[in-house]
Amino acid sequence: MKFGLFYELQLPKPAGQPQWNPEDEHKIYHDMLDQVELADSLGFDYVFEVEHHFLEEYSHSSAPEMMMAALSQRTKNIRLGHGIVLMPPGYNHPARVAERISALDLLSDGRVEFGTGESASTMEMGGFEVEREQKKAMWEECTREAANMMVQTPYQGFQGQFFSMPPRNVIPKPQQNPHPPLWVAASRRETTMLAARFGMGSLGFGFETPEELAERTNEYYRIIREECYPIGHAINPGLAVLTTFMMGQTDQEALERSANGPAFFAHSLGYYYNPITGGKHQPGEKNLYDSFLESNKKQNTLSAKTGFVKEEDIRKDEPEEEVQRALYRAARTGTAVGTVDRVREMLLTYEENNLDVMIFVAQCGDRKHEHIMESIELFGKEILPEFKERHETHHKPWREEQLATVDFPINSSI
Amino acid sequence: MARPDQVQDEELRELFVDAQGSMRTGQANDAVKTVVKALHRLLELKPELTTEELEPRPGWKMPFLTRWPQLGANFVEGSLAKHEPEIEFVKDNFALSEAITYYEFTIETAIKRGV
Repeated sequence: MKFGLFYELQLPKPAGQPQWNPEDEHKIYHDMLDQVELADSLGFDYVFEVEHHFLEEYSHSSAPEMMMAALSQRTKNIRLGHGIVLMPPGYNHPARVAERISALDLLSDGRVEFGTGESASTMEMGGFEVEREQKKAMWEECTREAANMMVQTPYQGFQGQFFSMPPRNVIPKPQQNPHPPLWVAASRRETTMLAARFGMGSLGFGFETPEELAERTNEYYRIIREECYPIGHAINPGLAVLTTFMMGQTDQEALERSANGPAFFAHSLGYYYNPITGGKHQPGEKNLYDSFLESNKKQNTLSAKTGFVKEEDIRKDEPEEEVQRALYRAARTGTAVGTVDRVREMLLTYEENNLDVMIFVAQCGDRKHEHIMESIELFGKEILPEFKERHETHHKPWREEQLATVDFPINSSI
Repeated sequence: MARPDQVQDEELRELFVDAQGSMRTGQANDAVKTVVKALHRLLELKPELTTEELEPRPGWKMPFLTRWPQLGANFVEGSLAKHEPEIEFVKDNFALSEAITYYEFTIETAIKRGV
């Protein structure tokens, strides 16, 4: 199993204040650079950063390509993942996407992971006039063509439903051949299976349990072997899963440091992705952190106050609906929250079920930079080395077995 | 796992096999139409799906069938509330990713319901 960090660049407004302090955005950007630089030095495998627009407090990461460019010069080995690029052409013309991905691949000496997605929030789609009912078809058309642009010399041109362009040589070309590994954001099971059919990695945003993962892994790799029709020119077999992450010398310390992070993450995600609340958001006016603190008083979801909740107690109250369940889990479960022993034990359950990549949500809510840095260091020194070793001795041979009958070219960093 | 051979009902199984064939050859429109037929067959076999509800949050209920992807083969407005689900095609051309999404949702629902 490999490991990564995941960034939304969350920035809750200070409690009781109508706006942020002038230096707040500058600080989270530079904090992220420091965190990823440290993670790289300790052997973390990936960093994934989102692209979101207008989702105040939830995500201030609207130009991840800039952060990735900066990171390419401050890190040596860590893979630089877009998690994800919004592919409908209203957000990004596919030729501009291909140019940026290729340029970053050159700058980083071939370390780019090309994550793709559609977007889902009313704030974003409305802001860029992207039609909800067509966004999946847009994603497919633009992802396929962006991959073609990175490979064809010259690009032969395209007359499509959502964009058209004449033949042009889209340059530069990426360092990785034929193009960087392709991923798609998957918050539902059916999108993970779509990823398999298109030969893409699945960036799972559903906070899946080890048991769910076992079923999905089997089915995903079966489809890769039997029913794959690749969207790109090389396939990237891989399942990644998100979980919340915060470590401490004691469980209580980790819980206190984790505090409002995951709960705010879920609260703000639920706010923007619910068409009713998200659709009525008044730009620049609301203090989402205040409303979170208010709702938290009522629901008492703070794990620092209640201690670890038993996994079976969490499960019995889970919503049936998949996206709501992901929000519920994001706020309550702490797969990678605790001491070295607790975190190692939990991660082993995912490793046993053949997870390819575990991605940690460390930066979220009002968590403190110094606590995130200490967690990265503790994990990198105390846990990561043994998983790295087993990745080579156990997981790689398992993957080779899964993919033995696959004829498509593979470009995967797993 | 969600493969056609796990579907018990022969008619439904054949529809999934047909849809799979259409997807494999890139015929997304045909695949979506076949999956819509599969949905109708599933509702014949499991009519209780038309009244089944999810409870995403305590106190907030929604029909299970609102999980059916709204990608152009949509339920006629109000038909779910009346428990008489009816599909209308609001566009002519579907992408392969849309066909796959409809397929995965429908076959998974069928297998989970044991039909």
